Amino acid sequence: MIVTQGAAAQAAGTVRVVIVDDHAIFRSGLKADLDASIHVVGEAATVEQAIAVIAEQRPDVVLLDVHLPGGLGGGGREVIAGSVPLLGTTRFLALSVSDAAEDVVAVIRAGARGYVTKTISGAEITDAVFRVAGGDAVFSPRLAGFVLDAFGTAPADIADDELDKLSARELEVMRLIARGYSYKEVAKELFISIKTVETHVSAVLRKLQLSSRHELTKWAAERRLL
Amino acid sequence: MTTVPARPPLARSSDRVIAGVCSGLAVHLGWPVKNVRVGMALATLAGGAGLVFYAWLWIMVPTADEAARRNARRPASPIAPAVSQAPAAAVSGTSPASPPAPQPGPVPFGQAPLSQPPLRQASDDDASLGADRPGTSGSPRPAEAPWFRWQSMKYGKEILLGCGLLLVAGIMIAQLLGVDVPLGTLIPAAAVLGGASIAWMQLDETRRAGLVDKTKADQAGGWARLAAGLALVVAGVLVMVSGSGSWEQTWLALLASVAVLGGVVLVLLPWALKFWRDLETERAGRIRETERAEIAAHLHDSVLQTLALIQRRAGSEHDVVRLARAQERELRGWLFQDPGREAGQLSDRIKAVAAEVEDLLGNAVEVVSVGDAAMTEGHEAMVQASREAMLNASRHGGGAVSVYLEASDGQAEIFIKDRGPGFELADVPEDRLGVRESIIGRMKRHGGSAAILSTGDGTEVRLRLPAASTDNVEGKS
Repeated sequence: MIVTQGAAAQAAGTVRVVIVDDHAIFRSGLKADLDASIHVVGEAATVEQAIAVIAEQRPDVVLLDVHLPGGLGGGGREVIAGSVPLLGTTRFLALSVSDAAEDVVAVIRAGARGYVTKTISGAEITDAVFRVAGGDAVFSPRLAGFVLDAFGTAPADIADDELDKLSARELEVMRLIARGYSYKEVAKELFISIKTVETHVSAVLRKLQLSSRHELTKWAAERRLL
Repeated sequence: MTTVPARPPLARSSDRVIAGVCSGLAVHLGWPVKNVRVGMALATLAGGAGLVFYAWLWIMVPTADEAARRNARRPASPIAPAVSQAPAAAVSGTSPASPPAPQPGPVPFGQAPLSQPPLRQASDDDASLGADRPGTSGSPRPAEAPWFRWQSMKYGKEILLGCGLLLVAGIMIAQLLGVDVPLGTLIPAAAVLGGASIAWMQLDETRRAGLVDKTKADQAGGWARLAAGLALVVAGVLVMVSGSGSWEQTWLALLASVAVLGGVVLVLLPWALKFWRDLETERAGRIRETERAEIAAHLHDSVLQTLALIQRRAGSEHDVVRLARAQERELRGWLFQDPGREAGQLSDRIKAVAAEVEDLLGNAVEVVSVGDAAMTEGHEAMVQASREAMLNASRHGGGAVSVYLEASDGQAEIFIKDRGPGFELADVPEDRLGVRESIIGRMKRHGGSAAILSTGDGTEVRLRLPAASTDNVEGKS
């Protein structure tokens, strides 16, 4: 991912962020890594704390660990489910050390706008925060790989239910992201604007969240490692 | 088993008159062949018992060849241990008498066929289960030799059964000879004893199973056995108590005993349930403890060691990153890898190569794979080509390397991307073979293709291998 900050969020100036992670060391490290234009307005270590802090602060973006103690054991998914009324204004970006497809797909389907691994650099996480704040989706190469694996690499026929397959263009975008291309590079490669790339990625995210494709959940559960 | 010099296994010999049973038996028992043959002939005169015995041995005992084949699999003959058990008992200080086990020798008439089942069972069970069957000891049967009570024996069950059958045969003979045997008392008594021993055997096994691990299927069999034992005991006691009394009386007695039993169960049930629950909790705790110990051992061997190494190398960022990445890979593999999953697919190879490059040069190599394919010769070439590309990307790109593998039925594609300063293929000197030979040439030779796209923002190597050409190459070579 490259450092091209989401235009809409940048126009608004600063972004208010809540960090939800049960490791204090990681929270402070992340806070130090984030750009000065990002204000961390709250922190939480458990599901209950997270829901309370989010409801109180109404941040633009929540950086959400997938695995959290507390609640009913649902982790990050449960935090999103507990903050449904705010989903219009507050966006969730999932952070995890886990590569397990189950975790990724579960939290995305709960409503997260993106998924990045915790080894991500400070510049990249800053960019991702701005992008999510601007309403776009953030796909890491690995998440793009999951999507390609889950939806298959064959483009949709017109007859197919559009939620269950990716269009040829969306496939191309996903492939390039999986190959490590930034949005800007994808745009350049496909001779389209960055805005169009963002539209495609958001469409894929919507399909990932809404598809009733029964294989998707099953696939994710069976997929132990990628 | 530590016994007297092992008997030769029971096997039909090739030195034979009919089927080699007698000579085999003679070798096994260490008796002269002639004696065995004469004994067999005499037994045949006794109501055909010898004939039946011979036929039975013919069917059940393997030939020497078969036995040899079976022994290649297992250390001992299935039958020898059962027979050599008795001398072991003798050594430990009781009677130096002849083996009390079912003894295939000259036996009283009418008895030989009867005494066979234990022997057969021994061979059957062993063939299927392997010889490791712990003792079913401690069944109180006063009718039998006393050493049964304390001897925890491997073939206890078989010998027990054999002795029981011998006893029955003895009673029958006694009856034939005109001795008045009080069957009316003996049968209920035997039923009580049999039921009790079944139940006690069950208890013994449950305890053993509880210490190890227990499956539900096991439990079902256990309950059935317990019920059978209980039924036998109850029936035996009833018959004994009521004597040959009327059915009416018997029913009354049955009713009374069931009522008493029900009352006892009612009183003891809560206590028994609590006991059972405690037992289950304790067992679960033990399992958890074992798991925790295993995890602790793994973490100690891997993570703690790596952390120690990292502290010692804290000065070198490169080393720290490399150690951390390597440990992360190892831990991920341990946590998430499905052990049942077959290894050796294309994606596994690519990941292995990426890990190698990461270890070698210290830059992260992220692999994303979609789909998978079984390895072929062409795929191996592709893996080698991508290894070369990863090495170049890591060395010259100087940062993280992205690898993307997409395998489908039609083809396999691998993309290796870095964010280095890039280079012009034309600028690479002719004598540098890395890119030209190891990547492009290698892919072409295996019917694939390679393209290198380099700009100021980075370099991407694209490898492609159609599935069909893979087969062609395989056919040619």
